[in-house]
Amino acid sequence: MAKKITIDPITRLEGHGKIEIFLNDAGNVDRAFLQVPELRGFEKFCEGRAVEEMPRITPKICGVCPTAHHMASGKTLDDLYKVDPPPAAKKIRELVNSSFMAEDHTLHFFFLGGPDFIVGPQAPAGERNILGVIQKVGLDTGKKVISIRKRLRDIITKQGGKVIHPVCNLPGGVSKGVTKEDREEYIQTGKDAVEFAKFTLKAFEDIVLKNKEYVDVIVGDIYKHKTYYMGLVDENNKVNFYDGDIRVVDPEGKEFAKFKPSEYLNHIEEHVEPWSYMKFPYLKDVGWKGFVDGKDSGVYRVAPLARLNASDGMATPLAQAEYEKLYDTLGGKPVHSTLAYHWARLVELLYAAERLLELAQDKEILDPNVRNIPTAVPDEGIGVVEAPRGTLIHHYKTDKKGILTDVNLIVATQNNAAAISMSIERAAKLLIKNGDVSDRLLNMVEMAFRAYDPCLACATHSLPGKMPLEIKIRNREGRVIKTLMR
Amino acid sequence: MKTLVLGIGNPILSDDSVGIKIAIEIENRLREKYPEQNPPLGITVKEVSIEGFSILDEIAGYDRLILIDSIKTGKRKPGDVYKLSIENLSFTSHLSSSHGIDLATVIELGEKLGYKIPQIIDIYAIEVEDNTTFAEECTQKVRIKIPMIVDEIIEAIDGM
Repeated sequence: MAKKITIDPITRLEGHGKIEIFLNDAGNVDRAFLQVPELRGFEKFCEGRAVEEMPRITPKICGVCPTAHHMASGKTLDDLYKVDPPPAAKKIRELVNSSFMAEDHTLHFFFLGGPDFIVGPQAPAGERNILGVIQKVGLDTGKKVISIRKRLRDIITKQGGKVIHPVCNLPGGVSKGVTKEDREEYIQTGKDAVEFAKFTLKAFEDIVLKNKEYVDVIVGDIYKHKTYYMGLVDENNKVNFYDGDIRVVDPEGKEFAKFKPSEYLNHIEEHVEPWSYMKFPYLKDVGWKGFVDGKDSGVYRVAPLARLNASDGMATPLAQAEYEKLYDTLGGKPVHSTLAYHWARLVELLYAAERLLELAQDKEILDPNVRNIPTAVPDEGIGVVEAPRGTLIHHYKTDKKGILTDVNLIVATQNNAAAISMSIERAAKLLIKNGDVSDRLLNMVEMAFRAYDPCLACATHSLPGKMPLEIKIRNREGRVIKTLMR
Repeated sequence: MKTLVLGIGNPILSDDSVGIKIAIEIENRLREKYPEQNPPLGITVKEVSIEGFSILDEIAGYDRLILIDSIKTGKRKPGDVYKLSIENLSFTSHLSSSHGIDLATVIELGEKLGYKIPQIIDIYAIEVEDNTTFAEECTQKVRIKIPMIVDEIIEAIDGM
């Protein structure tokens, strides 16, 4: 039955993400955009199921950020059953979420987005990858990355039950408390994670910030968009990944809106384009004006840089100092440079590590009371958390027996969809001139895309084990003149 | 020889789950066949739904890896099996990645970092029809082939 074959890299897989770039007669960019495959039928898949299944179903949507879905889903069940978890349960959830944010940001910086800077934007394609990063930072650093990531994932495994698809969240709390022994281990992991985050920020400073050429690329016009920014904030308007209100600032950094997660439909609408399966959320009160930036356009951004822009600072001391340094270096708030997402991600890595340590050191986390049993009749619930890639919204409706009748999710990358398309088009327009579509220039176009750490149709795991990205360059007649596979 | 049978896929995305379903069936068959052994023949079977890099955590420490996953080329019939080696997948290892890291890169990275990486790797990739619709079951064309694919892999394991 089995046959040995060699697979052609271009035609190997169907249903991949595509960047399409259209050139005019002069060989300059007329239009560029990103297309992603459609995953169908999630709402139908869920309808008719018991709503308690959602914290176990939704992490399976995405192999990249299952913990964030589990958290958003758990909070939605709290809202749906009108039950407030005990303080220890909230702290355990936030501890798990902080571990996840720290490990995910680590992975992105070193292995996914990092090659653009650690190896260098102009480096040959064959070196701009995870192996090139190891070559540059050294094997010991590589081992350090693997080790801290494993220990952070161990926290998710212990408290979440499973690292890949956590199962700990229940309506009104969590299924398991923290033992004294585990707490000691979490404290040590937290301390080491803080040191690791400091080490990573120092590496960023040495490799990127001390290199004028890199800094010029970061702050340059190619990668800049003046948009609105969105993120969860606590009662002091500090960044919070687990809980709080949704705050939006305008392109000048002034507060535009601040609202409860349950009010999201009053503020966010979705725009549909004929060429994309993905819907494009925008700010209702500003309106959809197309793929343009500025104060009159409802396009907003989420994820690390957006969270920092939308807040008044970080709730932990070391991250706050790094936050101030970022804005001092890049000319004050808000920062519109898309490539600064990489730096903001590291400020958040430090915050996640500090917060993990704070929570592990808090004695209340040992309280065995980790669940309030729900008694209310369910009807509708909304839950929001910050995923590594931005604000994640879950919204469920049920009948009186808790059987799902309606499901709406706005996932993190979707919030950034319009901005990602705009960033690709802007970079393409400014970089590709007179038909020169060299690999080096196309990589710089891709850098606009990678800074967001986008998760495309992240549920598919087909071989070769990554979501391929295809770049097609078309001439005025729409004929493909160059294709690249990433 | 420590052997790992690893089924990869998304359990709720129709044919994307085929690797997981086959791995579960292999485990059941091995347990039936060798009830006195735990694990049977010293073979560990795991099912996972993870992106590239995390696979390293799963495969480290084994001598032999049998990996079962889906593939969609559109060029063969759903349920057809490609038996691949790492070399077949290595064309992507030197490209920058949009998200996730391919298997060949994971293996190369693991070796560089001093992990004990399986020296024998057999990859069974099953051509699928639909991996974009949420469903717990595979499509019929793929589903009916699962028992035969399980037979083939068990035969290969027994012949070790």
